[in-house]
Amino acid sequence: MTAHGRTRALIFVAEHSLAIALSAMFLAPIVFLLLTSFMSNEQQLTADPWPRTWHPENYLDVFARTPMLSYTLNTVIYAVAATGLMLLASVPAAYALSKLKWRGRNAIFIAIICVMMLPPQVVTVPLYLMWASAGLTGSLWPLILPMLAGDAFSIFLLRQFLVTIPDDYVDAARVDGCGEWRTLLRVVVPIARPGIAAAAMFQFFYCWNDYYGPLLYTSENEKAWTLSLGLASFRSLHHVDWNLATAATMLTLIPVVVLFFFAQKAFVRGVTLTGVKG
Amino acid sequence: MNRRTVYLTAAAVLLAAGCTPGTKAPTAAATAPEPTGTVEFWHQFTDRESRAIAGIVKDFEAKYPKVTVHITDGQDDDKTLQAIGAGNGPDLAQSFSTDRVGKFCSSGAWVDLKSYVDRDKVDLSKIPPTVRSYTEFRGKRCSMPFLADAYGFYYNTTMLTEAGFAGPPKTLSELTAMTKALTKRRADGTIERAGFLPQFGFYEFSPAHLAPAAGAKWFTGEGRSAIGSDPAWKELMRWQKELVDWYGYKNLAKFTASLGDEWSADHAFHKGRVAMMVDGEWRVAFLRDQAKDVSFGTAPMPVVDAQASRYGAGYVTGNIIGVAKTARNPEAAWALIRYLTTDTAAVVKLANAIKNVPTTTDALAAATELKADPQFAVFLQIFDNPASTTMPASAVGTAVEETFSQFLAKWQSGAATNMDSGLADVDRQVDQMIQLAG
Amino acid sequence: MSTVLRRRLTVLAFIGPALAGLVVFFVYPLLAAVYFSLHRVDLINPPEWVGLANWRFLFHDLNVRHAAGNTLWFVVVMVPARIVGAIATAMLLNRVKRGRTAYRTLFYLPALAPPVVATLAFVSLLKPGTGPVNTLLAKVGIEGPLWFNSPDWAKPALVLLALWGIGDLMIIFVAALLDVPVELYEAASLDGAGAWQRFRNVTLPSISPVVLFAAVTGVIATLQYFTQAAVAASVASGDAVTGGGISGTFGYPEGSTFTYPLWLYTVGFRNGLLGYSSVLAVVLFVVAIAVTLVLLRRFQAFAGSVR
Repeated sequence: MTAHGRTRALIFVAEHSLAIALSAMFLAPIVFLLLTSFMSNEQQLTADPWPRTWHPENYLDVFARTPMLSYTLNTVIYAVAATGLMLLASVPAAYALSKLKWRGRNAIFIAIICVMMLPPQVVTVPLYLMWASAGLTGSLWPLILPMLAGDAFSIFLLRQFLVTIPDDYVDAARVDGCGEWRTLLRVVVPIARPGIAAAAMFQFFYCWNDYYGPLLYTSENEKAWTLSLGLASFRSLHHVDWNLATAATMLTLIPVVVLFFFAQKAFVRGVTLTGVKG
Repeated sequence: MNRRTVYLTAAAVLLAAGCTPGTKAPTAAATAPEPTGTVEFWHQFTDRESRAIAGIVKDFEAKYPKVTVHITDGQDDDKTLQAIGAGNGPDLAQSFSTDRVGKFCSSGAWVDLKSYVDRDKVDLSKIPPTVRSYTEFRGKRCSMPFLADAYGFYYNTTMLTEAGFAGPPKTLSELTAMTKALTKRRADGTIERAGFLPQFGFYEFSPAHLAPAAGAKWFTGEGRSAIGSDPAWKELMRWQKELVDWYGYKNLAKFTASLGDEWSADHAFHKGRVAMMVDGEWRVAFLRDQAKDVSFGTAPMPVVDAQASRYGAGYVTGNIIGVAKTARNPEAAWALIRYLTTDTAAVVKLANAIKNVPTTTDALAAATELKADPQFAVFLQIFDNPASTTMPASAVGTAVEETFSQFLAKWQSGAATNMDSGLADVDRQVDQMIQLAG
Repeated sequence: MSTVLRRRLTVLAFIGPALAGLVVFFVYPLLAAVYFSLHRVDLINPPEWVGLANWRFLFHDLNVRHAAGNTLWFVVVMVPARIVGAIATAMLLNRVKRGRTAYRTLFYLPALAPPVVATLAFVSLLKPGTGPVNTLLAKVGIEGPLWFNSPDWAKPALVLLALWGIGDLMIIFVAALLDVPVELYEAASLDGAGAWQRFRNVTLPSISPVVLFAAVTGVIATLQYFTQAAVAASVASGDAVTGGGISGTFGYPEGSTFTYPLWLYTVGFRNGLLGYSSVLAVVLFVVAIAVTLVLLRRFQAFAGSVR
């Protein structure tokens, strides 16, 4: 093997070793959760990391104790609806903030970032009162409807991605006679696919794991509870059933892991930029 | 943004802010009507305990067939308060935190039950005085006691006999002496087994639970913080620090960090890592369930030497239950509360099911099953003892104990050395917060 | 319709929903917070005017100084650590070809775990004495620190937890790195640039808008860092999370994990002083804007037309 070839091989091994080591570290706590989910009630949270006795019935217990299917359905509705609406509103907004020129653009951009700066505890009080007077508490609407206005985090993220796309693309489309909508949909979105996928994934998983939102707005109506609220129901005053809680956590994790695995197709390298003038 | 939008937004804010429902708080009708309709009951228990409560509620529905009770469990104080504030709260609610009584009463979130109590001639003297004190605030009775907890002293009888002790310590100096005798250290100086753990914040060792040992007061007569002025606190702190220093704080912290979670089967007392401790009456059930090989005894907390006659008192607390301001069916809600809190048979049944202490003297007398249990009976006596104390209600809830605990954390580690100035700071912080709360 | 008007309407159509959101979810709560900060608020009764009383307490409050210090520590340490970590892992992922999908899923997995459960898992793993990590270290002859039970190690342990959950930030950088035009790298190689120079002169400038995004959102999120610190303190102190939520031993050990948002939440929702809580919120907001403006100014990607 040539010297160059040897270096290449070494780098290959080094990279893969690092990747494997990191994978092990990332996995370790998850494995801990998985093992706890098979433990008996006595053994949970004790010093023994390996289950002394195996209790796969914990998973069935979770279904018996809580209406997991209903929680899952609500969670799916929340996550899908919120993500869909978010994209519909945020992508055009990000486009306007990056590819359109208009007065006040920078001010609005900063204002949108500012939305994230108010601590949630303070935002929730006046918002809760508002939704309560509209009679919408006890449902998921207060969590879904605001997505019609987009989401500050996603708008910021998408705007930054769109900024990395050279203006030449957009100009070329405009010169060709495309209106802004067509430019956005036909030219920009395909190039920005990885960024849009990242934003969508972020929003989806945020909604999937969101605890405080559903806690605030749906706790009075168990029919609207999501999985994260269901997870919290394994606690009582003097006792926490961590073995069941971790089993429920595993059940919550598996669909999103599978989803993520398949959604990776969106992370394809963007269109190669050849033949673009200046 | 133009001026008109600013005005509109401001108007909306003011509207929303002032827009909390101004409903009139319910009061008792002239005569007690028969309970009918639906009642919305929110409580904070889950799981096995929730099922026990559901059982008792079914008994109530059997007694009053025209009422249907709709239970939502697993609630908490924040959710309940928010719902009441928004106008769609329950008819009655239960809370774990007696320290929220101040807030519930002073804000009117839970209504004053005086008119109901007077009309139905509920005999409040059947409720022990300490329990009465944590269910009312500034003269307003806005809650009734719903099961209680009493704290006492647990000791490992095998270990004590081995070391030559006939019984548990009755005074703090006895406790210190026995702790030193029962502690085992390894060759490198680290602790292998502790006689007693004096670390504030660990398991159930907290200032509130320790207060009855010296009769330490939280507030002065005028409602200001007494932590800095009551010499009892300083005495307790000095005793505690002496014991901590004997262990060496770093050794102690290292030891407690390696101990099992309080609610797991690895609890230090279950595993024989500690010989004596302070805990609530529920620990009896846990020990019998998870640590059958540990032979233990229960007794009241040791007291300061100078007040040996206090022995038998302990820290007492419990759950509370009240009628919400937004109740749509207050009469039926009150009927349910009366049943759950004063009907002797119901109270005893509930106490047996959840292994808590019943809150009326009649129920205490009738709880034969619990009384016949020697290890549990100790807690019933502690509960009944007139010198037992509880955490007094304040308008700032848990802030008093938390502010004190923060200083104690620094005090016991040696990070803070000036007890007087530290306690004065605590007093000042607490007083200012109470002032802000109005 | 004139072109100018059509242009304006187009912009309005694109940005309109977001503008409406601005008013409802930003202006309204902000005005409400300022309003509440001047009143005594308990959510049951109408707010009661107290003027500057809440604001005056800000200068006497012993807890706020301590809490602010801890939060600032997190901002200075956690934000850069996460950004560097995310870029590094994203680059590693993009280089590894075989099994890339599998690795990506594995790296991202921790970010999917609910924060409360994840913190519990971490605290259990890092438990001094009996936990797996310290047991492993002992086998190699190292005496592990007390991690979440040591006032010196609790904050670093929380940073480790944040790094463990780096998948969410990493995925954004994966996308950003994929967007860097390949020809730029080819051109640089042809010019004789080494790996580090390619990184400095091609990669970094191309992804700088995303780095800015990570910095700004990272600072904002860290200024609001709350859940993990609260749960870690509860679990490590031996008082596991039961019933309603946070135990009274927040900040354990010795106040080292006591963050500003934790105090904001406690004083407002547990101690019932929502007016003072609003004061803390307004102050936090002002600090967040100040830091963000500084960051935006330093990064030239501010105007959008400049890279």
